[in-house]
Amino acid sequence: MNSRKEGQLVIVKGASKFYGELAALDALDLKIEPGNFTVLLGPSGSGKSTLIRSMAGIERIDKGSISFGDVIMTDERTHMAPEKRNLAMVFQDYALWPHLTAQENVAYAIKRRGYERSHGEKLVLEMLGRVGLAQKTKNYPSELSGGEQQRVALARAIVARPSLLLFDEPLSNLDADLRERLRIEISTLTREIGASALYITHDQSEAFALADRIGVINKGMIEQIARPETIYEKPATRFVAAFTGTAGSFFGKVKELEEKNCVVELGGDLLKARHTLPLKVGQKVEILVRPAATSFSDSHKNRIHSTVLDIAYRGRGYEHVIETKYGSLTGVFDSISHERGSRIEVSIDPTKCIAFPIEEISN
Amino acid sequence: MKLRFKVNPITFFWILIVGILVAPILLFLLNAVSPRSLSQGDAWFTIQPFRDIAHGQFAQGLVNSFILGVLVALLSAFLATIIAWIVLRTNSPVRKIWPFFVFALLLAPSYLIALGWQRLIEQRGVLDILGFPSAGLRNIFYGPIGVFIVLAVKGLPFAYLVISNAMRSLGGEFEDAIRVHGGSRIEAFKTMATLLSPAIWSAIAIVFAESISDFGVAATFSSESHFPIATYSLYLAIENFPANYPVGAAVGAVLLLLIVIALLLQARNLRGRSFRTLSGKTRPFRRIELTKRGKFITSTIVLVILAVTLGVPAFGALSASALSGVGSPFSAHAWTLSNYKSVVTSATLHDPLIFSSKIALIVAVFAAFLAAFVARLLTQKKAGVGSQILDFILLAAVALPGIVFAAGYIFAYNLPLTNSLGIHLYGTSALLGLAYLAGALPSTSRSLVGNMSQLQESLSEACRVHGSNAIRTWFDVVMPIIAKPLLAAFCLTYAGTLLELPVSQLLYAPGQEPLSVGIDKALANYDYGGGTAMEVLGIMSALVVVAVAYSLFNLLAPAGWKRIGASREL
Repeated sequence: MNSRKEGQLVIVKGASKFYGELAALDALDLKIEPGNFTVLLGPSGSGKSTLIRSMAGIERIDKGSISFGDVIMTDERTHMAPEKRNLAMVFQDYALWPHLTAQENVAYAIKRRGYERSHGEKLVLEMLGRVGLAQKTKNYPSELSGGEQQRVALARAIVARPSLLLFDEPLSNLDADLRERLRIEISTLTREIGASALYITHDQSEAFALADRIGVINKGMIEQIARPETIYEKPATRFVAAFTGTAGSFFGKVKELEEKNCVVELGGDLLKARHTLPLKVGQKVEILVRPAATSFSDSHKNRIHSTVLDIAYRGRGYEHVIETKYGSLTGVFDSISHERGSRIEVSIDPTKCIAFPIEEISN
Repeated sequence: MKLRFKVNPITFFWILIVGILVAPILLFLLNAVSPRSLSQGDAWFTIQPFRDIAHGQFAQGLVNSFILGVLVALLSAFLATIIAWIVLRTNSPVRKIWPFFVFALLLAPSYLIALGWQRLIEQRGVLDILGFPSAGLRNIFYGPIGVFIVLAVKGLPFAYLVISNAMRSLGGEFEDAIRVHGGSRIEAFKTMATLLSPAIWSAIAIVFAESISDFGVAATFSSESHFPIATYSLYLAIENFPANYPVGAAVGAVLLLLIVIALLLQARNLRGRSFRTLSGKTRPFRRIELTKRGKFITSTIVLVILAVTLGVPAFGALSASALSGVGSPFSAHAWTLSNYKSVVTSATLHDPLIFSSKIALIVAVFAAFLAAFVARLLTQKKAGVGSQILDFILLAAVALPGIVFAAGYIFAYNLPLTNSLGIHLYGTSALLGLAYLAGALPSTSRSLVGNMSQLQESLSEACRVHGSNAIRTWFDVVMPIIAKPLLAAFCLTYAGTLLELPVSQLLYAPGQEPLSVGIDKALANYDYGGGTAMEVLGIMSALVVVAVAYSLFNLLAPAGWKRIGASREL
């Protein structure tokens, strides 16, 4: 694995795709820099699969264009066939050809890209070894476990060192342990070959772990695209904040306002939070609380009375579900457990909770 | 607006479908209401042909067909349910041999089954020669009972396939759930029967349609015992001189209507009821461990059914072909191979077999190729209106009686209009081949639809994104995955065409008789030995071709191709 290739520059401009009245993609713009690992995060039906399939050439967009470098792949007049795009794809259902062995599945990608036979075979075996399947090269897909099948699919995608790699929720059918191990393999192998990558998922932890950049997609449009840290800390919309992980939310009214922070009145309590959108004093807001914001320590002034509803042991400690006067919060972590029904104050880190104007909720 | 006509493979395909499937049938049926539009009478619109068939032999034939169809469907579904239960749910020893015989039954045309019975029980037939008096049996069989038995024999494999498929996917958990909640064995059985009811209704509808469409038994038992049934009435209407196409078309239309009613009744019975019993969590059922007595009883039931359905006609045909002087009051009778020798040496006897073998091979290749194409069109994700129309045409054509189909061909390709279009196919073997192809295409493509729809789109998409064009993708991914079902479709089409009767009977070109016509002629000339030897050789040759095809596949196909659809030992 020493031959690095230049990744592909991908530019999507105003891409729209309609299924009847429904817009799966709505004038979507996206740019993937060469060698960048971009993850598109969004719920089912947000258009992420349509986008990745359009980039592969399996679907054709109705409006807009998709270019790889200077070459237009798809626009209103052009549609380059998938086999001519010099890319590879890992499918959600693996899409391994059942009549071919693991080795033959991987070799297929090599053959079609015109590699010399002996060199190609060496590459195939090397790649299968790299994904831990050196002993199973002659096995058919039906003789492999789900994780092994997905590894073959990964090897098949990477072996010919394409300039663009597409991942269509490749880990969604696997159990938690396998997901983590394969995630690491995807991350390292893709970066080793230097390809640009577009990875779609609805799992925010997967997105944050893999991405150089994350795009959050909703209703066929990208609401925000940025580095993972930016997405987490400065979500541009309530949807982005909600979809990238919250422990819960509270509704209240802005009492005091600073440039980046605000104090919100929740019934009888005051809670300090950040804001990324302009607010006004007296405006109704929703505070989205990140899981990492909550604790049972007294490290912050932001504290609310709560009752423990449920406890889950997580190995390194306990996660609690708590009920407050203003709503419930999940995933409140502590190294010791607190009895169900016990009353306790919860601290909320103001830097990790964000207030959004109520009007924004329609997003 | 500028109209542009684009000739691409799809356009050509549709022209073919209309030319060989839609136009002949519609033109023929049009005779029933508008004979003048096809130069067959004076009226532009009339219902006189329907009035003509409302009495006499035609009406009797339709009533007989209807009653027989209902009785045969009920008996076949009942027997099929019992056999499916024995074969799939118990450890009865017969469960291992039954599947082989089902396919043998499926392959054997009804006229060959009827001929087997005839050779056995006719005057101076095999039983008479062997010294067993057969007059009593003859009196029973030459009439409605004989027709009923042969039709039931032909209906049984269809009913079994439908019901056994449903029973296979009915997991053991339903039965277990009833038992653990206090239900008895009888209550569990009742629930099973309810869950199987969609399949039982389907089996009844399919067997009814098959029975009233059957021509083989009409041309043998029915005609000789003067027991009229509809398909033979239709045959006589268009084969007698002068041909009466409007009346034939009216009989065809009523037959079609009866089939449509049966299918609608089946759909109505199932309306709003969902019996989806197969899911990813379906647990395999446990086989019931039978006692020795249970094994004996179940084995006896299945073996008796086998003896009646296959054993008797097979014995009739084999023994008649190996006896000299069957049916003759003057000849001495002895066991001999002379009938087979005469088939080998006499061109009159072996030419039909050679001709049918050749044409069946060509038809089977084309049918398999076209059926794969059709099945792909029907199962693609972006199926449009065209696919839906094609689906409807094929479904309708599957239900179409073979004799109506043949009549449509004989009529449509003999029209002055067809000749003026430069299509001079009437009376040629090319037309016979096209009719075989059109007859085989609906069922062959429907049989591939199931396998093709299991083909995940992502397999082809993966092929495309990894560098293969559409054609290469077809050969690299689609072909290997459907190779086995395609081979099965080829073999069924080959055997079906080789032994086909109604289309052959109406469309054969002079001097180029197909096998069924050759057998019929030999029997009509009282060469019972030669005729039955042709039957036996015909069936044997079909089995040889099937065996060779499967052997070649096993020998030459890559290992991965053979794995697809192979059963996994648990």
